[in-house]
Amino acid sequence: MKYVGKLEYYLVALIAITLFNTFLGEQFSSTTLVTILIALTVTYKGFMVIDHFMELKGANKNLRFLMRLYFVIFPSLIIVSAFY
Amino acid sequence: MKNISINKSLGIFPKSWSEEHAGRIPGNIPIWVGILSELTEFGIFFVAYFIAKFYYPEVFTQGPQSLHTSLGVTNTIILLTSSYFMAKAMANIRLDNKLKCERYLWLAFFCGCLYLIIKTWEFYWNNLQGFGPSTSEFFTIYYYMTFNHFLHVGWASCAILWVIFRLRCGAYSAKESAGLEALAVYWHMIDLMWILIFPLLYVLR
Repeated sequence: MKYVGKLEYYLVALIAITLFNTFLGEQFSSTTLVTILIALTVTYKGFMVIDHFMELKGANKNLRFLMRLYFVIFPSLIIVSAFY
Repeated sequence: MKNISINKSLGIFPKSWSEEHAGRIPGNIPIWVGILSELTEFGIFFVAYFIAKFYYPEVFTQGPQSLHTSLGVTNTIILLTSSYFMAKAMANIRLDNKLKCERYLWLAFFCGCLYLIIKTWEFYWNNLQGFGPSTSEFFTIYYYMTFNHFLHVGWASCAILWVIFRLRCGAYSAKESAGLEALAVYWHMIDLMWILIFPLLYVLR
């Protein structure tokens, strides 16, 4: 039952972060700070889905590493693109 | 038992990658070969995005403002919810609740269909505004990424129907759910790709 409760929490958190990202994008131009915030939230969302929906937390550490690395590399490129 | 032989018998990986050493592989190895291949494919899309953005920064500032952001947000929430339903389906098969598992699979399938309908409507709306793949470099990248993602959601939605059929035939249980889990992790991968695509196209200006 504890496990079932956690899934609902993660879903609500993911939706809240999505709405926050949209708010940032609509209300502010993509300054460096806003871009970094968006990149960090994308990483966090990705980690949440990888660990708790894909259930890689506590599972195969190599697959978990590769998936999380993906969500470090591309959000990092988002930050780099802020300096274009 | 089939899952164990699949995850041990593919001798292309080093021993340190085996389940005994590195931990349980959700689903099976073949689906992860597929997932990692598709991550590479989407990685190419993302690299193309960043290269294009480097060369055409003004176009990539204007482009997102032309899009129907609320449809993008709606689709993001739909896909996140579908991932939740897929995780619930897995939780229920582990408890041998096959009826509830099937119900959550149908809900995930419904979300997939809803995504496809909304995406089609968005493409139609873009067309009405006069936007197409050759409008600008941003829109070329936009259609490149979103249409490919659209196809993947379509394929995975069909796979959900197959898995529901297999569930009804009694192929899955608490002890034997690797096939269902394979579809589940593939579905989460598709959701993960949209988690990256959405801010790149709709949020960053």
